[in-house]
Amino acid sequence: MKEGLNIIVAGVGGQGILSLARVLGEAAVLEGLEALVAETHGLSQRGGSVIVHVRIGENIEAPLIPVGEADIMISMEAMETLRSIGYMRRGGVIVSDTLIIPPSIPGVKPLKLEDIVGAIKSAGLEAHFISASEEAKRLGDFRTANIVLLGYAYKVSKIKDLISLHSLMKAVETLPGRDLNLKALTLYATPDANLERARGWV
Amino acid sequence: MSYPEVLGELGSRALMLGNVAVARACLEHGVGFASGYPGTPSSEIIEALAYASSRLGYPHVEWSVNEKVAFEAAYGSAMAGVPSVVTMKHVGLNVAADPLFSSAYTGVEASFLIVSADDPGMWSSQNEQDNRWYGVHAYIPVFEPAGAQEAREDTLEALRFSESVKHPVILRLTTRVSHTRAPVTLGALAKPRLSGDFIKNVSRWNIVPMHARRLREELLSKWEKMGETLSENPVNTVEGPEDSKVLVVGVGLGYRYARESLHKLGALGGVRLLKIVTSIPLPRKLLVRESEGRSIIVVVEEGDPVLETLLKSTLYEEGVNVKVYGKASGHLKWSGELKADSVTLALASILGLNYRPEAPIKLSITPPPRPPVLCPGCPYRSVFYALRRAVKMLKVEAIYSGDIGCYSLGLNPPFNVQDTLIEMGGSIGLANGLAHVVKDKVVVATIGDSTFFHAGLPGVVNSIYNRAPMVILVLDNGTTAMTGHQPHPGSGRDALGREARRLTIEDVVRGLGVSRVSVADSFDTREVEAKISEAIRDVMYRGETHVVIARGACILDAMRMASSLKVKRPIYVVESDKCRACGICYRAFNCPAITPGEDGRVAINASLCTGCGVCEQVCPFKAIRVLEPGDPKWSKILGMEL
Repeated sequence: MKEGLNIIVAGVGGQGILSLARVLGEAAVLEGLEALVAETHGLSQRGGSVIVHVRIGENIEAPLIPVGEADIMISMEAMETLRSIGYMRRGGVIVSDTLIIPPSIPGVKPLKLEDIVGAIKSAGLEAHFISASEEAKRLGDFRTANIVLLGYAYKVSKIKDLISLHSLMKAVETLPGRDLNLKALTLYATPDANLERARGWV
Repeated sequence: MSYPEVLGELGSRALMLGNVAVARACLEHGVGFASGYPGTPSSEIIEALAYASSRLGYPHVEWSVNEKVAFEAAYGSAMAGVPSVVTMKHVGLNVAADPLFSSAYTGVEASFLIVSADDPGMWSSQNEQDNRWYGVHAYIPVFEPAGAQEAREDTLEALRFSESVKHPVILRLTTRVSHTRAPVTLGALAKPRLSGDFIKNVSRWNIVPMHARRLREELLSKWEKMGETLSENPVNTVEGPEDSKVLVVGVGLGYRYARESLHKLGALGGVRLLKIVTSIPLPRKLLVRESEGRSIIVVVEEGDPVLETLLKSTLYEEGVNVKVYGKASGHLKWSGELKADSVTLALASILGLNYRPEAPIKLSITPPPRPPVLCPGCPYRSVFYALRRAVKMLKVEAIYSGDIGCYSLGLNPPFNVQDTLIEMGGSIGLANGLAHVVKDKVVVATIGDSTFFHAGLPGVVNSIYNRAPMVILVLDNGTTAMTGHQPHPGSGRDALGREARRLTIEDVVRGLGVSRVSVADSFDTREVEAKISEAIRDVMYRGETHVVIARGACILDAMRMASSLKVKRPIYVVESDKCRACGICYRAFNCPAITPGEDGRVAINASLCTGCGVCEQVCPFKAIRVLEPGDPKWSKILGMEL
């Protein structure tokens, strides 16, 4: 029996995490697949940690991904990548922004990017740290960072085995800022995309 | 919010939230009246129905002032023969509990669906109450869908059942049903019954003791019959071998966790698996039939062990001797939401199956906590800063009686201005007691505008009538921000976005008998401080309740409006040579858009800064200034004058 694909989408409330996750779900429906997108609403959307569980494919039942069973993580903030690491399967793929947003708690110091990258690499995970926010700014709007990450993740993970680029583009079209998002997506997700563009730490 | 999927075509397959699937089912059934009060995780049901209504012209959809009124409105409509639905979060049903119990005595004349969205795991709630107990307690059947597709189907069935027995039905959702998107195949929209008639019947609609005693007897016999009918309802399904020694009962979403776990353990197809949707009243016949001849029963359910407990007592009565496992037996975790990991482990251990999951990845470093915070530019930050300063300058001690909304975040440092946070309206309610018994401190009740209309009003009247002097600080941002910006009676628009009569809070409190009322601009932190200081003096030296209304737009609303009206926001910068690294702007004022460098001097993060301008007021060294001025309309937007 074929199993589904488990994707954790992580970040800080307000970054566009729900949109990213919804696009994956919409694209799966366009492919005629089953999909579950378990969102976090309410209080945590106000600048707190947000995790969305996305499950695509066959034999998916429950909305939450079990610990240790995520195949892919797409994360919009490096400390949040670290926070969700327990969901990852050994051999899973991580695509994370290099961005670090310090928590707004007086006296609390953020971690250093090199320490986060080092710790994650030491666990033997395939981790792609890219400067998606910087790239989004270069493209014209920092809010498109989620689609930069999505495009990159599509290219380097098993998402492309389940979802066609056509469906992914159709799903992205439903978001506000259509043209820029499509540009961001095609820059990374197409077969001849140049991934080097957004690489920070790899 | 936009919900085009709720009006999708017949037969199409659309990705939708469980909540939107519930709204769709209401439209397919022909619900003519829908009311609710916002509350996570329930809010999208009314939002989606309002979206549909603004396009179709029906049904009637409203955000009521609180859950009790919402309940009564839908109940009244169902009395008059119009299919009706009321939605709320679990704790909202506490507010509506009085009419809830009565509705079972009188019954209704058309479908009456009570949607309770429970929040196991307390993602956005003060408790983890399981509202299926209300079904048991009030004699109202409970349906529990297992996902978005089932949310559509089971809502339709619950509405049909309610219509057929002329009795209210509770649809119990949980966070992961309400807020998980999944593909849903749509049925046909129905033309709703929009108007009805009220047929007078004193002995039915007046539950004075004389009539209520008779209705109580009728209710008990109706309850037994409903249990029998629901036992045969095809929404409850069964799979797996009839002669298995093991029965796994999955209730609502619990069914999904049970099924996935059995699949993982290789036991799916080897054991009997029963899916229960109609948990209350217990589908007794079905459960007894399915329990006989088994040696192990495992119940997987979200919340309290409701079905597990009822099942045990039923099996005892019926003389069926079988061991029942679940939360009450200690095999599944009672608190928190269900998780696949723990359900799989529990099933493996109960069924004696070998299952050793790999240890999760653990790293040598962990990230610092990231609790939710007030947004950059939130008017509450400015008000809390002013409140702290006013109390400090007057050298008084204050008790901060808090309430439910985004401003609850004021409980965190550096503000620490929510000493209590109990329930909707509790700020003023508790202050009515605190003010009498704590003599040497001033009580400051902080309450948001939507919460004020919801449950604040009676507390204000009580404070005047029973002489409980307090400062009431009403945070008026014109919206119900935390649950997703739903309008309320002070917003000037209704659930469908149409213009509505705007009730201003100052008029309301004056009408309630408060003689000391002042209004301040939330984004003018000095004005707020001055008005709060005056209020504290009033309370301490004159013994009079004083209401301060701090008015300023929710910054998320303001930003949206500025962008749609093409209003330019000002840009602020820090003049580095004037910054003395004092930390007031990022520590005491705590704006997330201001970050200190290595030397403590600050910079403004342009992508986070909203242009509210309050940091310019709090900087004692005039190091923050406008680089590019904004459109004059920006201050009008912030002041809610546009």
